[in-house]
Amino acid sequence: MRAAVTDEQMSSEHPSPAATDLRDTIARALEVRDLRKTVAVGFRRRKVEILRGVDLEVREGDVFGLLGPNGAGKTTTLKVVLGLMRPTSGSVTLGVDGLGELGYLPENPYFYDYLTGAEFLQFCARLFSLDGEERGRRVAAILAEVGLERAAGVQLRKYSKGMLQRIGIAQALINEPRFVLLDEPMTGLDPIGRVEVKEIIQRLHERGTTVLFNSHILADVAAVCTRIAIMREGRVLWQGTVDDALASSPGADLERFFMQVVGS
Amino acid sequence: MRRVAAVAVNTFRETIRDRILGVIILFALAMIVASLWLASISLGQEGRMIKDFGLVAISLFGLIVAAFVAASLVRKEVDKRTVFIIFSKPVSRSEFIWGKFLGLAATMFVVLMGMTAFLFALAWIVAHGPQGSLLVAGLLIYLQLLVVMAMTMLFSTLTSAILASVWGICVYAAGQLSHNVLSLSRLGHSGVTHVMSRVVFYVVPNLSAIDVRGAVVGEGAMSHTSILAWSGYLVAYLVVALFAATWIFARKEF
Amino acid sequence: MGRLRNVAALLVVCACVAAIVVYQSDRPAAARPNPVVFVPSSGFYDSFSPSVRATLADVYWLMAIQYYGEHVNSDHRLDSLPSMVRLVTTLSPHFTEAYFSGAFAMIDIGRPDIAYGLLKKGFAANPHDWRFPFYLGFFAYTYASNAQRYRVAAQWYAKSARLPGRPDYVPRLAAELATRGGSTQTAIDLWTQVWVNGDKYARQKAVTALDRLLPADKIARERAVAGLQQMVPHALFTQFLADVFQGY
Repeated sequence: MRAAVTDEQMSSEHPSPAATDLRDTIARALEVRDLRKTVAVGFRRRKVEILRGVDLEVREGDVFGLLGPNGAGKTTTLKVVLGLMRPTSGSVTLGVDGLGELGYLPENPYFYDYLTGAEFLQFCARLFSLDGEERGRRVAAILAEVGLERAAGVQLRKYSKGMLQRIGIAQALINEPRFVLLDEPMTGLDPIGRVEVKEIIQRLHERGTTVLFNSHILADVAAVCTRIAIMREGRVLWQGTVDDALASSPGADLERFFMQVVGS
Repeated sequence: MRRVAAVAVNTFRETIRDRILGVIILFALAMIVASLWLASISLGQEGRMIKDFGLVAISLFGLIVAAFVAASLVRKEVDKRTVFIIFSKPVSRSEFIWGKFLGLAATMFVVLMGMTAFLFALAWIVAHGPQGSLLVAGLLIYLQLLVVMAMTMLFSTLTSAILASVWGICVYAAGQLSHNVLSLSRLGHSGVTHVMSRVVFYVVPNLSAIDVRGAVVGEGAMSHTSILAWSGYLVAYLVVALFAATWIFARKEF
Repeated sequence: MGRLRNVAALLVVCACVAAIVVYQSDRPAAARPNPVVFVPSSGFYDSFSPSVRATLADVYWLMAIQYYGEHVNSDHRLDSLPSMVRLVTTLSPHFTEAYFSGAFAMIDIGRPDIAYGLLKKGFAANPHDWRFPFYLGFFAYTYASNAQRYRVAAQWYAKSARLPGRPDYVPRLAAELATRGGSTQTAIDLWTQVWVNGDKYARQKAVTALDRLLPADKIARERAVAGLQQMVPHALFTQFLADVFQGY
């Protein structure tokens, strides 16, 4: 049985007039309604339903954590939002003007072996049709932000895992996006790396950028997120503020809350 | 156009710095030099031998680059998921495909013209004079390989990189036999064979319409009009192949 | 135990290397070139593109040269040479040197008739090359046995005289053949032209023939050769002298 959302502003079953008005006035970076995605797998093209009616709402300025066990449909949801996959049904509404205002870091990113960090970021900047001077300024700024100025001239195949993750974040921010989607941004990073990524996310939040990220590391989620959603088997089981989640959990432990929701 | 250029420049950088390319070029140059030895046992036909076998080396190694590098160009981006990074930015599928192709075409031009220039210099020494027809032959081989590249990229949107390479090489081989398909169709008795042969004749690129190597070794001349017409045909062919690749790729999900 | 294994592995590798060397060193002695080799008919390559056929012609040309070199001074058996040369010239009809060298190689197997047929085939494919009727005339003159040979040779030389690029002495030779076909001087003139225009094998034959035709006496030979100076390009005359005066 699907758990009722605890945030009454999210309830579509019994909206109060005041709640409806409030909902309409809150700027949304992303609204997903009843999103479904079915794929055909294997030689016999057997149909598998990956997303079974996902409802999500990410407000502008949120640091939104999308949680769930492996196979819950988190990455698929992000891919549909970005247009990398087409939904079978449902709607996705972005509060930004297309891909030009989005930034995305995929899970376990792979880049171009023989490009240097600077060349790669220049390439990404060109894809946003930025002109030469502006490109140069942004590349320099973003390299400084992620702490890779000294490695800018080194080919990416020589980068460590942590450096690759940072260049990945850099390319996601090169266009100064209003909405950033990060898929497992802290995977494979050492504790220092994770702290650095959290600091970047914090800075983005302070600038008013909306951040949506997937993660398995609940401690990190608890530390940076304002709101979270928990998915399992293609559905959102719970979404609300981190405070509400902690309040609902014995011992104010997000991990226990997560197990409680997913286990039910 | 800017985004196409960005993808093209990126592809050019990435492929030209790839070590595999360097190895292939080295082997090609070694083969060209080896043809010097063959020329020395040819009873006074050094000029003809070095030109002929040199062009064979350039065609063969160019084909390896065209088939294998073109096959992995798109496939690798999908398998390594760099497409996620590209298509999360305002880049269309057609800009991506055309940019990839143009980048590799630029790489192929540098590689092929470099080898042709090397052969030109060698032939100049051996034949005691500049062999201008070699440069024209190099350009025509380049055009042939562009078609192979476009077809390979098309196949790579449908299947794995290795299969796409094999198909690309088959297209090259079939293209060399294209002029026989019609005569083969006349051998068959059934209307189906006849129709199938005609379909194959139009579908397979005619890569042997101009006798590139023959003209260089003296087996007939290449007229300007025939070269222009053939070049136009090859360009039209690769445009159709790339549009088909774009259409298929636009329907892919990642 | 590990050390023992390393020693054993090293011994195995050494044994294998030794076997490779022994096997390969035995091969040159064991290998005897076969005078009869498989040469596919040109029809087999009909379906190949013209570029590929030209390259195949070059490959077979190199094989033919190797084959000739292996057999001409050993067992003297050149059984497959006609097929090879025919294949090369069918694959690459404008490969003119293949006709000329091939024709002279046919003399070694005592088949000037094949040479003649080859040159006629070459002339059909290269009707503007003066060398084909030139050599046809030479072969008709030197190797035909009927009474018409001087007239036929003269006709070939006359044809050559009408083609662009022919040297100045060709019309003179044609006239000479028409009037004094049977003379020794005409034969000397023709073989001298074979020496000037031919490859190293044709030159060897020309030197042998000239040695027979020119006076044995040194002074007489010098006088006869002086008369040939206008037929031999200046740059080649020193070498020509060295060849015809070998052993003097």
